[in-house]
Amino acid sequence: MEHVQETQETPRTEKNYGPNAYDYVFVGFLVVVVVLVTWLGIKNYDEAVKTERAKSNGEAWATWLTETGLERGNKDFKLNGCRSGVKPDEEQKVGTWGSCLEDIMTKSPLKDQINPFLKTKPKLIPQCISTDRTVIGDMVLEKMVATPPGSAIPVVISQLTEADSIQDKMQIRISVCDKGGYPIQVSELEF
Amino acid sequence: MENKDQYLKDLDVHAILGHEKEADISSDLPLRKWLYSWLLDPNIEGNFQKTIDKWISILIVMNLFTLVFEHLPAVYEPNKHWFEFFDVFSVIVFTIEYVLRFYLAPEDEEFNNQKNARFAYVRSPFAIIDFLAVAPFYLKSFIPIDLRVLRFLRLLRILKLFRIVIPAIQEFKELNKERTFRQKIHALVFPSPYGGMMQNIFEVFIAIWVLLSVLAVILESVHSISYLLNIQFVILDAVAVGIFTLEYCMRIYSCVEEPGYKGAISGRINQAKNPSTLIDFLAILPFFLEVLLHHLIDLRFLRVFRLARLLKLTRGSDATSTLFKVIAREWPVIGAAAFIMILLVVLTASLGYLLEHDAQPDKFENIPTAIYWAVITLASVGYGDISPVTPVGRGMTIVLALMGIGIFAIPAALLSSAFTDELVKERNQLKAELFTMLKDGQLSDEEIVFIRTEAKRLHLSIEEINALIQLVLKEFEEEKNHPLPIHRIAEKPDLAVEHFKATLVQMRQLGLLTDSSTFDQLAIQEGRLSADQLEIWQKIQSMKG
Repeated sequence: MEHVQETQETPRTEKNYGPNAYDYVFVGFLVVVVVLVTWLGIKNYDEAVKTERAKSNGEAWATWLTETGLERGNKDFKLNGCRSGVKPDEEQKVGTWGSCLEDIMTKSPLKDQINPFLKTKPKLIPQCISTDRTVIGDMVLEKMVATPPGSAIPVVISQLTEADSIQDKMQIRISVCDKGGYPIQVSELEF
Repeated sequence: MENKDQYLKDLDVHAILGHEKEADISSDLPLRKWLYSWLLDPNIEGNFQKTIDKWISILIVMNLFTLVFEHLPAVYEPNKHWFEFFDVFSVIVFTIEYVLRFYLAPEDEEFNNQKNARFAYVRSPFAIIDFLAVAPFYLKSFIPIDLRVLRFLRLLRILKLFRIVIPAIQEFKELNKERTFRQKIHALVFPSPYGGMMQNIFEVFIAIWVLLSVLAVILESVHSISYLLNIQFVILDAVAVGIFTLEYCMRIYSCVEEPGYKGAISGRINQAKNPSTLIDFLAILPFFLEVLLHHLIDLRFLRVFRLARLLKLTRGSDATSTLFKVIAREWPVIGAAAFIMILLVVLTASLGYLLEHDAQPDKFENIPTAIYWAVITLASVGYGDISPVTPVGRGMTIVLALMGIGIFAIPAALLSSAFTDELVKERNQLKAELFTMLKDGQLSDEEIVFIRTEAKRLHLSIEEINALIQLVLKEFEEEKNHPLPIHRIAEKPDLAVEHFKATLVQMRQLGLLTDSSTFDQLAIQEGRLSADQLEIWQKIQSMKG
């Protein structure tokens, strides 16, 4: 009977439903996961911002070329290398894309651009190559030549070379290479 | 038995299934009470309260999205008028809701015991949130407010969701009162009786993010959109991955509470191997691989696997699980059909190569090329880029094309018939369950929950469940009128025992109801019963219980 009495008086142990040690470890793990995903997200965001800056470089080229394209036939146009209506002469450095490019890289506001990925001056390259990591953030300028009516392809796109004539108006397509080395088409314009 | 029959006859399937029940609201009520009962009373089943809550929630979520898109000039500027129209529409709806709640506050049990019910409503947290959701719109008509401040204030509309979320949290707490932390996590992420409304909200939340992220992947492939919204897509993907990763971790951690996944390590490994959990893993893997390894190799192709997130929506789909079950069950037959198909493809490709190679060495260059031709012909696709020119080759193609119609139809026919079989089987199972449940003439709460769940799982309408119940009742009737023949009873010993007991009861009833003195006279004096028969009769009559 005494034993029964003792048993009855023993305080009942309440089951603890609160978080145990494993639960805390799990919550800690979740916090680590959130931190990791946030960190990786920020890394991705930074890369995306660099891509946006590279696109801005391309857009600046597009704006400048479009505006210049409207003015380069004027007599008071200052950049001789980019003047239109002049016969191409490589020695005189007029009338070719090479002469214009030289003026752009030395006299225009585009000369101060920075490649956001490589922190160098962005290069004008023939094409973006996904296997070549050195082209990231660089720019591709291509000339677009319309084909005669009825052709299977309406426009032929080819690399803009230094020897190309800029005597007349021309269509240009600008692309920038993204972080994977793939081209992002920025604009098509008349120069 | 009479009562039971009555009960079965009066079964209210609408009540059992718990939906589409028409509210029982008297039209004689005063207008305010009547309006409250129809529109806002959460205690009356079948009124419009849940529908109103649902549509208000949808409008709130849409407001959130418009707020996000307003920050994108490329989207906002061309569609400015539509955004403004939507804002006006939202404010009108929210204002009507506010005014309605204000007017009906004296009927609300939360406020009607206070001195001034409407004032009590205005001071309540939900009413303040409701007011803040519409106030900036009216305020800007009188005071010039900066657009950014206005947008921030409009963000407060999201707080209106608390009207749904807070009761759901309270219900969740109540349901999980004496449950551990892991059990609570389990109740949140896995369907269970403890999840309540909160589990539904969790599933809807995940589904919204799945749809958003898949939509983003699709739109990313459109150059004009991805050019403008590249950064937004990156942010959205990171947030989606964060949410899906947390969900994945929660599932893996709490899966041990799920039947069949017991065991701290083995249970979790089994859960991780589960197809739906593998899909969850595939949904987040590309993000981590791309971010961590992008400087080593170009993992852009992995982005397309983000579309696998769409498969996450199949988790709750019973039709998908039925389809998987059917495929698993019919796998040997499908395998056999596939084997015949492969055999036919290889044979015809070899023949095609043999017959056509000399005539067209460039097209039927080798057997693999001929296999391409054979599959395109068998599947009735017929691109026509490779076609036979020799008479024998053409003759064979005719046979091949005709055979293809039948051969390629076999797996499809197998699957469709197996799918139908499975559905019939599952409905028969439910019928059998209903038969067992209704046998005792009443339905317990657990049985009602079971019927409700099964009806939802099998996509059965109220009419179909009703038809099943009628069928079961009819079978009861049949069984009562036409008992099983003795040889059928003898086949099942447990049934035989029950039948024996029922026979004994009948004999006792016979003894009680008949005139015993006349019976004895006939049985003993006239010798209509043998001594043994009489002894058994007397024993049965003297039995207790």
